[in-house]
Amino acid sequence: MSEKVKVTNLVKTFGDNEVLKGINLTVQKNEVVVIIGPSGSGKSTLLRNLNKLEEPTSGSIVIDNVDIARNDVDINAVRENIGMVFQHFNLFKNLSVGENIMLAPVELKKQTKDKAAIQAKQLLKTVGLEEKFDATVQSLSGGQQQRVAIARALAMNPDIMLFDEPTSALDPEMVGDVLAVMKDLAKQGMTMVVVTHEMGFAKEVADRVVFVDDGQILEEGTPEQIFEHPKNERLQDFLNKILNV
Amino acid sequence: MKRKVLMAFGLLAAFATILFCLALPGSQAQAKTYQIGTDVTYPPFEFANKNNKYVGIDIDIIKSIAKEEGFKVNVKPVGFNAAVQSVQSGQLDGIIAGMTITPERKDKFDFGTPYYKTGAVMAVKKGSDITSFKQLKGKKVALKTGTAAADYANSLKKKYGFKTVTFDDSDNIYQDVTTGNSVACFDDQPVLQYGIKHGLKLQIASKPANQGWYGFGVKKGTHKALIKKFNAGLKKIQANGTYDKIVGKYLGTANNSKVKGKTFTIGTDVTFPPFEFANKNNKYVGIDMDLIRAIANEQGFKVKIKALGFNAAVQAVESGQADGVIAGMSITNERKAQFDFSKPYFNSGVVMAVAQNSKIHKLSELRGKRVAVKTGTSGADYANSIKKKYGFKVVTFDDSNNMYADVSTGNSVACFEDHPVMQYAIKQGTKLKIVTKPALNAPYGFAVKKGHNQALLQAFNQGLADLKASGTYDSIKAKYLGADEIKTAAKTSGNDAEDRTFIGLIKQNKGALLSGLQETLWLTVVSIFFATIFGVLVGLMGVVPNKFSQGTSTTLIYLFRGMPLLVLALFIYTGIPSLTGQKIPAFVAGVVTLTFNEGAYIAAFVKGGIQAVDPGQMEASRSLGLPFGKAMRKVILPQGIRIMVPSFINQFIITLKDTSILSIIGLLELTQTGKIIIARNLEGFKVWTIVAAIYLIIITVLTWLSNWVQRRTKV
Repeated sequence: MSEKVKVTNLVKTFGDNEVLKGINLTVQKNEVVVIIGPSGSGKSTLLRNLNKLEEPTSGSIVIDNVDIARNDVDINAVRENIGMVFQHFNLFKNLSVGENIMLAPVELKKQTKDKAAIQAKQLLKTVGLEEKFDATVQSLSGGQQQRVAIARALAMNPDIMLFDEPTSALDPEMVGDVLAVMKDLAKQGMTMVVVTHEMGFAKEVADRVVFVDDGQILEEGTPEQIFEHPKNERLQDFLNKILNV
Repeated sequence: MKRKVLMAFGLLAAFATILFCLALPGSQAQAKTYQIGTDVTYPPFEFANKNNKYVGIDIDIIKSIAKEEGFKVNVKPVGFNAAVQSVQSGQLDGIIAGMTITPERKDKFDFGTPYYKTGAVMAVKKGSDITSFKQLKGKKVALKTGTAAADYANSLKKKYGFKTVTFDDSDNIYQDVTTGNSVACFDDQPVLQYGIKHGLKLQIASKPANQGWYGFGVKKGTHKALIKKFNAGLKKIQANGTYDKIVGKYLGTANNSKVKGKTFTIGTDVTFPPFEFANKNNKYVGIDMDLIRAIANEQGFKVKIKALGFNAAVQAVESGQADGVIAGMSITNERKAQFDFSKPYFNSGVVMAVAQNSKIHKLSELRGKRVAVKTGTSGADYANSIKKKYGFKVVTFDDSNNMYADVSTGNSVACFEDHPVMQYAIKQGTKLKIVTKPALNAPYGFAVKKGHNQALLQAFNQGLADLKASGTYDSIKAKYLGADEIKTAAKTSGNDAEDRTFIGLIKQNKGALLSGLQETLWLTVVSIFFATIFGVLVGLMGVVPNKFSQGTSTTLIYLFRGMPLLVLALFIYTGIPSLTGQKIPAFVAGVVTLTFNEGAYIAAFVKGGIQAVDPGQMEASRSLGLPFGKAMRKVILPQGIRIMVPSFINQFIITLKDTSILSIIGLLELTQTGKIIIARNLEGFKVWTIVAAIYLIIITVLTWLSNWVQRRTKV
């Protein structure tokens, strides 16, 4: 196992509001890390710092031995290797399903249009939507859109995938399909950082669970350690609330 | 498909650039020609005539002087204020616009020798009982901005306690008075006189005050040579009579002061159609009657017509009972011993008339045939003098009707009659036709007793010349004689004077309206093109993640959206040249104005449209590794443009309408064209209705087109 991501003393402030208060986090290659925590605790912000959708205020984020927190880094090149899936899917509304997946590989000259189309169809097949290649984004359900969004992120062949509450905006019956796709990815050995409220998913798939509250990591460990023997009081509190609903 | 659109866009850009490049040097190449500014409409000094050519005392004077002195002028009717400012900014070389020489103006201008004396007068609605300034208390008075008459009125304002409203055009102040918004207006005397003479429903209610002189002006300290040439030329045209001719053409001569207001008794024949006869209301009408009345009106005197009979009228003049005689009186050498004759006002002569289906058209064809004449006429004398030579018989009748009937029934093959009398009869329905040219040429003249009433005679001659110049003479003739002889003259003068219906107005001004519309459309298209480029660029600058670029965008939008279009137009047209010393053609200034103003609005909604796209779209694009520009082009703009399309359509329509504001810098677009037409015919309501309808039609077409485009862009 080698270190894929190493976050050291990461601080992020919005104006006077300190959202991340010195985060230290390491993600090994092929590891699945699930971040849990109450709303507003800074989980999403932490995730968005990992591909610099948010600019870190201080600290370092080393990915494959490159500190991306520095300003002289070609962030576009870094992002090509980090796929991201959003809570609200963010599919390109002006493009068809196929075009959504092909856009980045073609525009960034990774692939020809023909090859990209073949790959797009292949990816759609893996998320169970091969017949939707020509469909418009608007014609898809939320679950379908999210699976297309995962396919889109995979099209650049990233070696890290970031998931920002991928199932929070979905109707309950759609959640299973999306989680199934994510489980497959994990099985194939993808390095994944997932922010989610799906504790079932965390228990089943996560190699490690990280509990974030108030901009700090309060506890981390295997799913068993976190869910069965939580030490931190606030973690116990949090688990009580969400598991006993 | 996309590539094709791009190519079309590129071609359009190239085309517009070429046009601009062509237009710029084109306007500079004529630098030798002096650019002279004048008012849009200030009759009789400058106004567009019915052929839409600028004429008037000022225009004719400057053109005559230019001809005399061998230089060229390009007279531009940009409006008085615009002309004054353009001369000051160096856009124009000189101004001739009924501009009174005042001490203040002398600070800014060098004036040539004064060329016309004027004074300010007050005019009120026809029939109004206002005769003194005192009656103006608390009332509203209309003034034209920047005129000496306005200064005069302002100086009286406090003393007499009236309020003033100012307008840019003379028409507007007149209209304000005729509609009753204002009770009086102040303007220069000749201008008002001319307007009233041409049907303005006003009357002058004060004596000329603040008399001053009109002068030709250039910017102080510049164009000394031009002033020198103007003065030399003015001297020449004053010496050779051209000046008097010009002034006389528009206002009548100064001589009419001698006859003004006087009443003259004029003797005439009892009945001599078509020259004088009583109509069914027992009023004396006819060519002589209409002519003498029109001349009296034009020269400002009154006439009392006495239908004494020809001989009695002649004697009454000899005895001094009557001041003059107009009675189809031929100018002969014998009569010249007792009378002083005017210039001939009519050429008569004897003609031969035959039945309409007759084949006879020569005197030689009369051999052995019977010819009808009327006793004691010159026609009878003429027939008797040639009957031997051509071998025909003569029968005489006591009145014309019998004579005509004898020919139309075929008893006689022809008759001889005075030309105008015959013409009149034919116009009245007599079934004959004239087949020969007038013989025994006999010019008719107006006569006064030898050595007496010279002022009246002179006024008659002057008035006659004026009526001939204005076309009134021809229409009087046509009224009684039909269009036969004076077909072309009657046509040109008849149309404009009579047909004031919508269709008539459109027909008369078709050319002017079309070229105005063309200018409006051209201005719109070119402006929209550049405004779109400017607006999209500035709008995009507003969303680029760069503080400097965002600031620039915000500032440009703030600046150009915050400035009234009118101010911006004037600033660019007159302000920029003052700063840079470089002239800007009005069209370019207009396009630049609209580009900035409309472009600022476009920038604002382009920026807004982009910002209205869900920010998640940008995040998703960037998270895939797409650079900002690519994300913008491929994802954000296609969605933003769809949001912007309705705003674009709206802005194009506004641009089309806003071109009308550019009339302020003298662009001859549709609105300015309307103004000029109204200045000539005073048909404000009808012409504005036509202009408004044209705008509506164009905008309707544009809206259809846009809706079609909008449907096409929706997926």
